[in-house]
Amino acid sequence: MSYLEYTVKTVPTGLRKILFFNWPLAILLTAIAALGVLQLYSVAGGSFTPWASPQIKRFILGFLLMVMVGMLPIWFWRSVSSLAYLCALGLLLFVEFFGAVGMGAKRWIDLGFINLQPSEVMKIALIMAIASYYDWLPLEKTSKIIWVILPAAIILLPAALVLRQPDLGTAILLTLGGAVVMFLAGVHWAYFITMITAGIGLISIVFQSQGTSWQMLKDYQFRRIETFLDPTNDPLGAGYNIIQSKIALGSGGWSGRGFMQGTQSRLNFLPEKHTDFIFTTLAEEFGFIGAISLLSLYALVLVFCILSALKNKDRFSSLLIFGIASTFFLFFAVNMSMVMGLVPVVGVPLPLVSYGGSAMLILMIGFGLVQSAHVHRPR
Amino acid sequence: MIRIPLRPLATILKARKTGKNPDDIERANIRQRHEDMQDESRVRAEGRLLVLGMLFFLGFLSISGRMAFLAASEPSEPKVHSFGGAIHAQRADIVDRQGRILATNMETASLYARPQELIDPKNAVKQLLKIFPDLDETRLLRDFSGVRKFVWVKKKVSPEQKQAVYDIGDPGLLLGPREMRLYPNGRLAAHVLGGARFGREGVHAAEVLGAAGVERTFDDYLRDVANYDAPLQLSLDLSVQAEVERLLAGGMKVMNAKGAAAVLMDVHTGEVIALASLPDFDPNHRPVGSGKDSDNPVFNRAVQGVYELGSTFKIFAVAQAMELGLVNPDTMLDIRGPIRFGRFRIRDSHYLGKELSVSDIIVESSNIGTARIAQMIGVDRQQQFLRDFGMFEKTSLEMIEASGGKPLLPRKWTELSAMTISYGHGLSTSPLHLAAGYAALANGGYQVNPTLIRKEQPTLGPRIISESAAKASVVMLRKVVTQGTAKRYGDVPGYAVAGKTGTSEKLKKNGGGYDKERVLASFASVFPAHDPQYVLVVAMDEAVETVGLKPRRTASLTAVPVAAEIIGRVAPLLGMRPHFEPQVLTNVELTAN
Repeated sequence: MSYLEYTVKTVPTGLRKILFFNWPLAILLTAIAALGVLQLYSVAGGSFTPWASPQIKRFILGFLLMVMVGMLPIWFWRSVSSLAYLCALGLLLFVEFFGAVGMGAKRWIDLGFINLQPSEVMKIALIMAIASYYDWLPLEKTSKIIWVILPAAIILLPAALVLRQPDLGTAILLTLGGAVVMFLAGVHWAYFITMITAGIGLISIVFQSQGTSWQMLKDYQFRRIETFLDPTNDPLGAGYNIIQSKIALGSGGWSGRGFMQGTQSRLNFLPEKHTDFIFTTLAEEFGFIGAISLLSLYALVLVFCILSALKNKDRFSSLLIFGIASTFFLFFAVNMSMVMGLVPVVGVPLPLVSYGGSAMLILMIGFGLVQSAHVHRPR
Repeated sequence: MIRIPLRPLATILKARKTGKNPDDIERANIRQRHEDMQDESRVRAEGRLLVLGMLFFLGFLSISGRMAFLAASEPSEPKVHSFGGAIHAQRADIVDRQGRILATNMETASLYARPQELIDPKNAVKQLLKIFPDLDETRLLRDFSGVRKFVWVKKKVSPEQKQAVYDIGDPGLLLGPREMRLYPNGRLAAHVLGGARFGREGVHAAEVLGAAGVERTFDDYLRDVANYDAPLQLSLDLSVQAEVERLLAGGMKVMNAKGAAAVLMDVHTGEVIALASLPDFDPNHRPVGSGKDSDNPVFNRAVQGVYELGSTFKIFAVAQAMELGLVNPDTMLDIRGPIRFGRFRIRDSHYLGKELSVSDIIVESSNIGTARIAQMIGVDRQQQFLRDFGMFEKTSLEMIEASGGKPLLPRKWTELSAMTISYGHGLSTSPLHLAAGYAALANGGYQVNPTLIRKEQPTLGPRIISESAAKASVVMLRKVVTQGTAKRYGDVPGYAVAGKTGTSEKLKKNGGGYDKERVLASFASVFPAHDPQYVLVVAMDEAVETVGLKPRRTASLTAVPVAAEIIGRVAPLLGMRPHFEPQVLTNVELTAN
């Protein structure tokens, strides 16, 4: 059912909307963020500076943004989704030419008060665009090839731009997030299977070419991939983080070393300990129990999102909620796997916990959309 | 898919009859179709959602599983410190025949920098220059202030320097452990050992590769981790080698030679006990240079250098003639000369009379006599004999340099070649070849393959000359020392030296014949003569003895005294007791009571 077909008179209006928010979800998000602040406090050696207190301010700002976004009707967001996508694409192009360079990659636009990462904006905008596309597309055309190529292009265009920055991790997450929405919208299985097979085939061909005359990558690029796959090959280079973080996780054991007792993180063995690798310090200090608790909080967020989406009869709303939930899942799953050496190290923050401004704000805006879909669901 | 028609004719007609609006039927059907489609899509979406939920669940499961695994694991540092595959720095030691260390490893440090982490690059450079004055200041400043993320500063750092670097206290200066090859005896046996260099370098280790000598030849063995506790045992004897080098260096200085070589070999096993080539180098800091330049210190004169070794070769012609039954030691031969052979003349160094016995031809070193014997033997038989003695091929010595010591043979082996080769001209071999040839005569006629590896028991090659001919040759060589060209300086009391001198003029630098001023003096000897155990070859390049009124270059005054001195010193080290031959009693009247 689409909003064109149902009456909206049962949808709450005005400030009353506040009462209809998905409050359990909001409380869960706050709990996770609180855990993050606690950990940042610990990492800084028991101090609110330099990380914990800005993180609190950012979360409050993010929370307010979530409420604001949630108050606006979901049909408004649907109507601006293609505009949002185009804006994000424009920003990506802008950063391609004028972006600030940091850590060997250009990713940011310096707005003065905040460093805006267009790839972060794109994460939400892309989900919106794909969800509204499938809301617009008549059901019977879903699996027609021309109507599959179009959203594929919508996904791959920004992914390619992000890959050029270069930010392989975000590019993969963007593609996966968009693909999940396409999958849920009911695009035929065969397309996904074809894409996955083609991808595996391409990767294996590239690897097969090593050492032959038609070698596709330079030797050093292969070496980098090998280090990716086996960090012990380069313990002081790319493998350093991951090895130290595995040591930290191992030293945490089942119950952890206790709050503010982590050695690996405290003694500065871990770089990026307050951003991408913050999960390590948490696992070291609170052990397996602490890590599983955080994981459970994340799982609960997902459960609430899925319940909300299932209740929602509006196609755009449910696709949007699933999309944002999947992106959220991909973030923490990839981050945790990376820290534990299950997947190669790609720069993906731990959502709501890692120190970092724009990622948290964007995520809260995303959950604002979830709230809006929840509040304005057809009843 | 069979679709229900939106306006089924029968129903429409029936409706028309009853006066109902047929459009209502169509509308109802459209609604029905939409609901069906939506139901279908809902079912599909729920299926999809289930799949996605399963994937999420699997994600959770693998993450928590991994977390449990890590929580249960013992935290441990990774064992392998390397990149791009393991770098094995543990190189096996090299020891001499008695197990004394010739080459080992030493733990040092390597110094590198991560310029981005330097707090004060300028100060770091200033302080580093105080510790390592040989560093290039401008290069270092440029590297430290540039965009490079990694800069090697110094590959080997001593413990004191390491501490000094720590004292600078800049976190961008980092030290990594590094094992380096150490030759604790310095220059000793430099040519045999060769030296080592670094291969792939990491901050935690560096590959040590053999640069030359046995380090290179046995590189695979030495680098094999499995052999770390099994040092490579050479046939060299450290003390004998030291003594040979010391005496050779002294002799080279006294005789004003530009180079010298000595080979001491066990005649039964072919084991090289000492092998020296001067000038030499310190393998700890192997100089650059290839084997091409024969005056470079890395050039091994004993193994790589091929020379016309002159009269020392005469004994091979005589031995073969005796083997063939053409002559016996007392056969008298006409030595009137010169022998004319086209434009070429063969003459002796001085007049030796009209005829000499074969034994005296060796003792007096007669070119004419030897050439006559070579004529009797003939070209083919001579070639075969010298080939058996290993004069045609490179030696089997386990050194990378041995392949450079391939003998130079005449392009066309004519009768004249046979004659000149019989007295050591026209065929160039290394001193090591000569030592192997003499060893075969000394051990009773068995082929000898020189080796640098310690052998437990004698390994005799095939017989290449009869025992009687070999023994007779040694008797003649003994006479050279007691009565002949080596009489004055050659004998060492108690060790019965037997040997043959050789003084060969080197080719003129600009071509066109031989240069009287530049000679290669050699002495090939075996001892003790009554039961030969060792062969010693000493060769001196452009030696000249300047004690007398005129400079003299003959080997009996240059190579012989050096060789005799060496034998006198090393024989006791080799565990030989002096053995005095029974003397003929003179001026004693035997009386009986």
